[in-house]
Amino acid sequence: MSVDVEVVGSAPADGGAARGRGTWSLSWHGLRTVTELELRQRVRSTRWKTALIVWFVVVGLITLLTTGAFQILSDDSGLGGGEPFGGTVYSIVVGFVLFLGLLVAPTLSSGAINGDRNAGTLATLQVTLLSPAEIVLGKLAAAWIAALAFLVASIPFLAWALVGGGVHWFALLTTVLMLALVLGVVCAIGLGFSALVSKTSGSAVLTYLTIGAVTVALPILFGLLVPVTSTTEEVEVWDIEAGYDWEETTAPECEWRTHEMPVWHSERTWWLLAPNPFVVVADAQPLQGDVQELANNANMLAMLQYGVRYARTGDTGPQDWCSDFVYENGREVRPDSPVEPVQVTDQLVWPWGLGFDLLLGAGGVVVAVNRLRIPTTELPQGTRVA
Amino acid sequence: MTPDGGIRAQGVRRSFGPVHAVADVDLVAAPGRVTALIGPNGSGKTTLLLMLAGLLTPDAGSIRIAGADPVTESYVARSRTGWMPDVFGTWDSLTAREVLTTVAAAYRLDAAAGRDRASELLELVHLLELADQPAHVLSRGQKQRLGLARALVHDPDVLLLDEPASGLDPRSRVDLRVLLRHLAAEGKTILVSSHVLTELDEMADDAVFISGGRTVDTRSVADADRPREWRVTGLDPAALAVWLDENGPAYHQEADGPGLLVKLTGDAEAAALLRSAVEGGVAVSSLAPAGGVLEQAYLALEEERR
Repeated sequence: MSVDVEVVGSAPADGGAARGRGTWSLSWHGLRTVTELELRQRVRSTRWKTALIVWFVVVGLITLLTTGAFQILSDDSGLGGGEPFGGTVYSIVVGFVLFLGLLVAPTLSSGAINGDRNAGTLATLQVTLLSPAEIVLGKLAAAWIAALAFLVASIPFLAWALVGGGVHWFALLTTVLMLALVLGVVCAIGLGFSALVSKTSGSAVLTYLTIGAVTVALPILFGLLVPVTSTTEEVEVWDIEAGYDWEETTAPECEWRTHEMPVWHSERTWWLLAPNPFVVVADAQPLQGDVQELANNANMLAMLQYGVRYARTGDTGPQDWCSDFVYENGREVRPDSPVEPVQVTDQLVWPWGLGFDLLLGAGGVVVAVNRLRIPTTELPQGTRVA
Repeated sequence: MTPDGGIRAQGVRRSFGPVHAVADVDLVAAPGRVTALIGPNGSGKTTLLLMLAGLLTPDAGSIRIAGADPVTESYVARSRTGWMPDVFGTWDSLTAREVLTTVAAAYRLDAAAGRDRASELLELVHLLELADQPAHVLSRGQKQRLGLARALVHDPDVLLLDEPASGLDPRSRVDLRVLLRHLAAEGKTILVSSHVLTELDEMADDAVFISGGRTVDTRSVADADRPREWRVTGLDPAALAVWLDENGPAYHQEADGPGLLVKLTGDAEAAALLRSAVEGGVAVSSLAPAGGVLEQAYLALEEERR
């Protein structure tokens, strides 16, 4: 009888890939088991029902208040009830749903793994035949479904705001889809942190910080980079004729002149705006190219979309400083300008932003799965295995 | 290459930073036997069980659980191991039955088989009346029984039980002992760690003593060749002492009672002593082993270490 003594040592444990099912193997049965377990526990806590009711009431109130406010505004301005308020109300409601979603989603997942670890229920699940990927993705699915419940609770208000007019029904589809994906990404990030950090409060804070970085810090960085991305260039300008002294009664002639001036190359940094969840949601709707209509409609999502598309367009080439100033006998003439009106790019921004966000989420999942591999070579600081 | 069945650990080591939780443990637990894992607090029992359960990688050494290496063949090892940790949580909002069906699903049993298995186990650990109550209403002992049922869901070949008797009432302790003996009779390998040594006496076949992260002794509980202390009392203690001085083996006064302690090897020697005492006209009122085998062995080891 001989027993081999082999030194396992510091080699990374390749959790059972040699025989049977490995770390990343997935099955519908395993996923469903974990998701059911998680959802069952969530549904039975009263906290969860209260949260959903509070959510419904808050979103309802916001819809009601904004609708009321715009009703009064449009009545006062004498434009009549025919003016579609849907665009404004719709964009405000979507903005609030996304904002509240970004606040709620981290709480749904950022305690999923370290919370179980502290409660002593994680290890007993790890020793079963579930793979780490099944445990993590099952927990992610449960957190996501919970987040989607909040989204579903707000759909009536979104649809109602849409019915107010001014927004294409297709926009509801893209908006809800993007909101769902963004919330899923937030859940995945929270899950990753909950596997990394031993305290649930710590992982929640880190998740909020990450969302804050993407939503607020990156746009600020975009703003701070303006001096760096601006260069002094010679720009062709359709300008008022040289030597025109504004005292003459004849209209000025317009002519091509060249000016030295700073040009902002936002096309080099637009991608800093792309991962922002609000940008992703706004840019996914069909583009409204007409600036005049945008201004009238006051659809903030459409305006945000126009803004990021404008940033992506960057240097718009020759400028027209003349046509607006051509008056004859006190009347604006607006002669044909050789400068094309600015057309924002039809190149999409949201796929880049969503792609980046999905990568973040995938990173969270990978981190969590790696942390749940057994046997582990090291324990996270201050955590117990059992 | 590897002998099948049971638990074989050789030269297992594991440290957490500067702390050598397990320094060098050799352990063999054979199928069909209950093996006791005994050691003082902080001797590395729980860390060792975590490695055997496949949750921790040993720094060095080899482990075989029913022939599978928990590090390189985690899946196979896990499918054959039932683990009950010393401290564990339950999914509080689930009922006892749901806890077991969930674990059954996690072990890839289909739903119908899982339900049957859950009912079977609930009956086995006497939790049928509480089966559909949420787990948070269960008492500590009842949770402990549920934890045992959970470790048995997939009918494992090897059972690792960390302090299974803590929190159990006397009735449940007897049930546990009967259950473990029954499982061992079915050919399963059972490793039990506990502090309650008298209890292990009655259920364990073998004992492994660890101290300071090392295996210090391995012995069979039923080992008749080792001398152990017996406690003898007589109606007239003085007469008994006089008789022992003349005829019997060396003895000494019990520290906290009227009895005298003698070292005897095996039951036959005890019977012989009793017969000769009776023949010698000494009124012996009792002759019985003083303390459990394991307790004596444990205390003797402690003695040696001082």
